[in-house]
Amino acid sequence: MSAWRYLLRIFWALKWPMLAELLLVVFWMVVLENAVGLAQREIFDQLTGEASVTFGIWELCAVLVAIGVLTFTLFVGGVVLHDYTFFNVSALLQRNAFSHLMALPGHRSLPSSPGEAVSRFRDDATAVAMYMSQFKFFLAHMLFLPTALFIMSRIDLVMTFGVFLPVAVVVVVVNVARVRIQRYRKESREAAGDVTGFIGEMFGAVEAIKVAHAEERALRRFDALNAERRRTTLKDVLLSETLNAVFSNVQNIGTGFVLVVASRSLGTDSFTVGDLSLFVFYLGWIQWTASEVGRTLMQYRQTGVALDRLRAMMPGAEPAQLVRKRPSYLFGRLPEVESAPSADADRFESLEVEGLTYLHPESGRGVRGVNLDLRRGSFTVVTGRIGSGKTTLLRAVMGSLPRESGEVRWNGAAVDDPGDFLVPPRCAYVPQVPRLFSEELRANILLGLPESEVDLDGAIWTAVMERDVEELEDGLDTVVGPRGVRLSGGQAQRAAAARAFVRAPGLLVFDDVSSALDVDTERKLWERVSQMPGATSLVVSHRREAYLRADHIIVLEDGEARAEGKLDDLLRMSEEMRRLWAGDLAPPTMSSR
Amino acid sequence: MASKGAEALSPPKTRVPFSRYASLLWTYLRPQKALAAVVAVALLSNIGLQLLSPQILRYFIDEALAGSAVSRLVGIALLFTVVALMQQAVNVLTAYTSGRVGWTATNALRGDLARHCMTLDMSFHNRRTPGEMIERIDGDAEELGGFFSTFVIHILGSVFLLSGILVLLFLEDWRAGLSLTAFTLVILFALYNLRNLTVDRFRAVREASAQTFGFIEERLAGREDIRTSGARPHVMLGFHTRIRDWFRKNLVASLMISLVLNTTWFSFAVGNAVALGVGAWLFLNGHVTIGTVYLIVHYTRMLLEPIERFTQQINNLQRATASVIRILDLLDAKRKVLDGPGVRFPGGALPVRFDGVTFSYNPGEPVLRGVSFELAPGRALGLVGRTGSGKTTITRLLFRLYDPDRGRVLLGGHDVRDAKLSELRGQVGVVTQDVRLFEGTVRDNLTLMDHSIPEDRLVSVIEELGLGAWYRDLPDGLDSVLRSDGAGMSAGEAQLLAFARVFLRDPRVVVLDEASSRIDPGTERLIERAVDRLAEGRTLIVIAHRLATLDRCDEIMVLEHGRIVELGERRRLAEESGSRFHAMLAAGSGEAPS
Repeated sequence: MSAWRYLLRIFWALKWPMLAELLLVVFWMVVLENAVGLAQREIFDQLTGEASVTFGIWELCAVLVAIGVLTFTLFVGGVVLHDYTFFNVSALLQRNAFSHLMALPGHRSLPSSPGEAVSRFRDDATAVAMYMSQFKFFLAHMLFLPTALFIMSRIDLVMTFGVFLPVAVVVVVVNVARVRIQRYRKESREAAGDVTGFIGEMFGAVEAIKVAHAEERALRRFDALNAERRRTTLKDVLLSETLNAVFSNVQNIGTGFVLVVASRSLGTDSFTVGDLSLFVFYLGWIQWTASEVGRTLMQYRQTGVALDRLRAMMPGAEPAQLVRKRPSYLFGRLPEVESAPSADADRFESLEVEGLTYLHPESGRGVRGVNLDLRRGSFTVVTGRIGSGKTTLLRAVMGSLPRESGEVRWNGAAVDDPGDFLVPPRCAYVPQVPRLFSEELRANILLGLPESEVDLDGAIWTAVMERDVEELEDGLDTVVGPRGVRLSGGQAQRAAAARAFVRAPGLLVFDDVSSALDVDTERKLWERVSQMPGATSLVVSHRREAYLRADHIIVLEDGEARAEGKLDDLLRMSEEMRRLWAGDLAPPTMSSR
Repeated sequence: MASKGAEALSPPKTRVPFSRYASLLWTYLRPQKALAAVVAVALLSNIGLQLLSPQILRYFIDEALAGSAVSRLVGIALLFTVVALMQQAVNVLTAYTSGRVGWTATNALRGDLARHCMTLDMSFHNRRTPGEMIERIDGDAEELGGFFSTFVIHILGSVFLLSGILVLLFLEDWRAGLSLTAFTLVILFALYNLRNLTVDRFRAVREASAQTFGFIEERLAGREDIRTSGARPHVMLGFHTRIRDWFRKNLVASLMISLVLNTTWFSFAVGNAVALGVGAWLFLNGHVTIGTVYLIVHYTRMLLEPIERFTQQINNLQRATASVIRILDLLDAKRKVLDGPGVRFPGGALPVRFDGVTFSYNPGEPVLRGVSFELAPGRALGLVGRTGSGKTTITRLLFRLYDPDRGRVLLGGHDVRDAKLSELRGQVGVVTQDVRLFEGTVRDNLTLMDHSIPEDRLVSVIEELGLGAWYRDLPDGLDSVLRSDGAGMSAGEAQLLAFARVFLRDPRVVVLDEASSRIDPGTERLIERAVDRLAEGRTLIVIAHRLATLDRCDEIMVLEHGRIVELGERRRLAEESGSRFHAMLAAGSGEAPS
């Protein structure tokens, strides 16, 4: 979809305030400014005694003041209207991009780091809004220009051409320069993205950097990125300013032309000083018109770049989705978050996975042809050594990664898009490295569920977190800090578990949740999970607590299920299983007992 | 979060004393004196040329009306065109050089801000999202970019142009000069008083936008969790709420700005009328020629341009002020963990000693209560205890992410507060459970951007740690780009990478904080040998839930609620049936519940 189609749709989504704004600008330019020019000419002509007297000089001056007052009044409202539409355009883009990103199947679909994405949300959305706002002036100029040309041509046709021709030149110049402009702008935007991205990375990993005493090195990298951004931006500035100078010269060349032609006729009836003042007045405007035309053409390309960068954050989306009109929620009631629907209607009975394959495009590793059969109330463990594809398997089942082949069946019915389907209350997932947000612990667990309708205390108890909550500074109201850094690793993981439990899912998926838990806590966790009615668990683990509890164990090797079954059988049949089991032996002093 | 963060900083200010602007300017413009001089010269030539043009026009009109030769008039017309072209060339030069000065200055500022924030304590960082840091380092510096590159130039330029025009008007006729000077002063006075009207509003707008982008960054990073929790509608609600808050603050600010801006537009119209009126009166009374009337009108229009620019810069100044306040707030934030005078640590493994250490993250809630122990050089200590019992805190105090409230931490016989942070952190290496990768090459992630480490050493460490298979699958070897979310890398592999980081740095004391929790037992065996070698000649502190990991420890410390409840030889504790460690081992091997 080309840029103008996007822009048209944005306009359509916000047509009323935009039309009002346009009307205001057109009235000001076409009616009020023409009146100013003509009144001024009349004053000069009266002074040189060439006027067809209708008004006195002082009355004309009063008219000019009155127009000033009117303009002031219109513009106070106009600026507010402008900011209103400006904000709405950028918010529309931000809203659509954000909402799409949130709907994407989990892992890896962001084209860049979250910090870099922020620069797209901020700068590219603003660039598009800026263009929309500028376009309105462009349109007003297009309406103003014919009226000005008409008035001028009634005075002197040749001079009118001399004034108008440079405008055409500008249009040509811009078209020649546009390819380069686009490239420079893209480079400078990318360099800016690198800078913001790196700030995000640097402060996201600040503890690691401090501990490793790598501050200076990180900062040197930051300086280098800054320097690159300066270089690319200045290239952009130089070219833009040169083009701007070309636009500005429209007036100067035009004025020069008018003077040369007028050297023969100034002071005669055919060309009065008043006419000269009117021509110079219009030249100022036509210069502005030319620069608006030029700028609008020039930035059309740049706006295209910004739109592409926003679009790149929305893989798999219809192009129009970026500019789709949706409730803005800037006024009135905010949207309701539906309360947790009851799981009864779609009670979990079984989940079957057949021939599931997903390979990471970069490394070619992943999982191949894995089968799962989970029944209500069962406890299934996936194990394997590092890099054997355990997490990938879970993600592919849950739809966080797009499976290449295979089938997933819920209660016997095929699931097309598990990413949308395997969510609470059907299924909940406790990731290996949970992400928490800078909010209260309570909000992190509930994530919008109404507290009155769910069993928060029960979820916290099941997650073996009740004592931690008591000991925390403000209990459940403790603000956990960016990405949950104010909780210990184990606390964060159990908070994520509570987040899953509170949603009362039919199927629980744990990715190595025990890695941050001590033995005692882990055993309690599994005990409490088993007390949940009908609880079904799919667990990645390499701990004996899990093996001993498992109804079924799947041993992954290089992405394939090389062995599966009950623990006893596997310990007899599978070398890999014996290795994994042995690795978790108690200290020698203990094993001798 | 930001409201919490703000408490740590000084109370909000709305005005910034002029001297602080000046010192900011001086700090960042001084290194670019030569270029700044070029900007100044370009600017002054521009003003001269601008003043010259209307004089040529006036001359032309008067000559034409007096009936001069056409060739002479054409000559004047051409002169006008040439002057105009020169002015444009100067304009490009001004824009480029001032842009250069501005970018160099703001880059230096960005660097300084990042440098300063980097030294701040973890208590500062724990309250701020990376998205917020982006806004505060890049967003505010960007805002100031306008201040550096155009503010001074435009303010000075406007003042020179204004006074030039007024002086020339006085030279034409004192009455014209006087009335237009009065007119200018009235407008400037009005604008000056509007100056501080909008600062607070803009501050609020910037805060709201920082909040929004902080929210976006964090939620983007946590997309998988949000989606699998079915929390998308909730997050969208949060998004809408923040956008709405930002929007409302923005609307209020724009109303204010609208009033300021339109005062100039209004004066445009009035000024034009005043000039025409005064000019007409002077002409009708025979004081000036018609060319001079034209000159007065033209100059008046020119007068209004610098006034407008002046207001615009006041507007920028208001926004810049909001940013300056935030930047100064940030620079005023002081770290508590300061460099000591410096000590010389002895070579080889170092002893670690805690002397009655009490510490709390939040006042009144001690996390460590009077912890004392001594670990001889080369020995290995295992820390066990429930989550939140203070294990990780002990290690954080050791490399001074925080300082104890009471008591002393000694490394190699020196109080850690006496050492420079660089010396101290060079001695201690850490592998934590939560491995932070950042977007960058494998090499940078391994060496934390230290390019002095040779490639073969990197590869040998990678192989030694059992990452060889992973490494060989990388498309561009060490130059392959890793992503901060660790895509394409399992959590276990990420943890091995963290091990490699420490191996490469060769510290005297090594802390393994749940370092192998994500490594499966099979792979753990692979790196055992490597860790054994890491422990060789170094002092080792191991935190582990999985008790098998503690096999290599000489001593065990059991912590509960920030107190040491058991401390002794691992072998002895393991065999002593009454000990807590013994009970844990029993539970840990799955044989009996405690």
